[in-house]
Amino acid sequence: MRQAGTYSGILSGGISGKTGPHLLPLARIKKIMKKSGEDVKMISGESPIVFSKACELFIKELTQRSWMVTMQGKRRTLNKEDVASAVMATDLFDFLVNLVSESGNSGEAPPPLELDTFTSS
Amino acid sequence: MAENAGTSGTTSNNGNSVGFKEQDQLLPIANVGRIMKQILPPNAKISKEAKETMQECVSEFISFVTGETSEKCKKERRKTVNGDDICWALATLGLDDYAVPLKRYLLRYRELEGEHKPAANHDKVAIVDNCNVEDGDNMGPLI
Repeated sequence: MRQAGTYSGILSGGISGKTGPHLLPLARIKKIMKKSGEDVKMISGESPIVFSKACELFIKELTQRSWMVTMQGKRRTLNKEDVASAVMATDLFDFLVNLVSESGNSGEAPPPLELDTFTSS
Repeated sequence: MAENAGTSGTTSNNGNSVGFKEQDQLLPIANVGRIMKQILPPNAKISKEAKETMQECVSEFISFVTGETSEKCKKERRKTVNGDDICWALATLGLDDYAVPLKRYLLRYRELEGEHKPAANHDKVAIVDNCNVEDGDNMGPLI
């Protein structure tokens, strides 16, 4: 029998313990996975859950890197050019280069930082 | 501004488009924006176009990693992509900083699968989130 609060207490937390549930919709993740290729036939139940976490980490990393560009420009509003600059400056995000280029990066963004030295392992 | 149901809302006022994707190929902008806000200082603002760009990037990330996993499954003649494949793909693509904490996350999720009755997936995610996968795992601090 479920104890009251066992789940609800955790659910009302969220990863920071401050905000409510932050989950990404698993069905949508699954849909995106299936559309990525014809070879993707079956997806285990845990896969969208792992991806949900992976996407969270990805969003946070790209946001952090983008914010560094924003700060370099002495601004407080993170804009799409900052995201594009962060992508260009990070080797790991090479797969996104074409995507952010298509967005019409004006080229007025500040020179890319050496963001790969940002993470320490 | 009229919104076309089911089509991308990623076209900004000046006509530049981030990329044309159906809305169901993107994660919801509210969820994406919320996660972005978690990592930024309280007084930071995020433009709508930045969130839209992030939506596109996340979808591309999912497709990119899934492509790798399905290649692996194909070679091994398996039909089902599982969590281990995703962790493997992340490591293969140089995203070790994700692969390591995700492996722990996956292990914890599998432990819970065995311990509890089948609960809704979001219950298990919340419980797993409460364990030791920290945002700062293997990532440097924000200056």
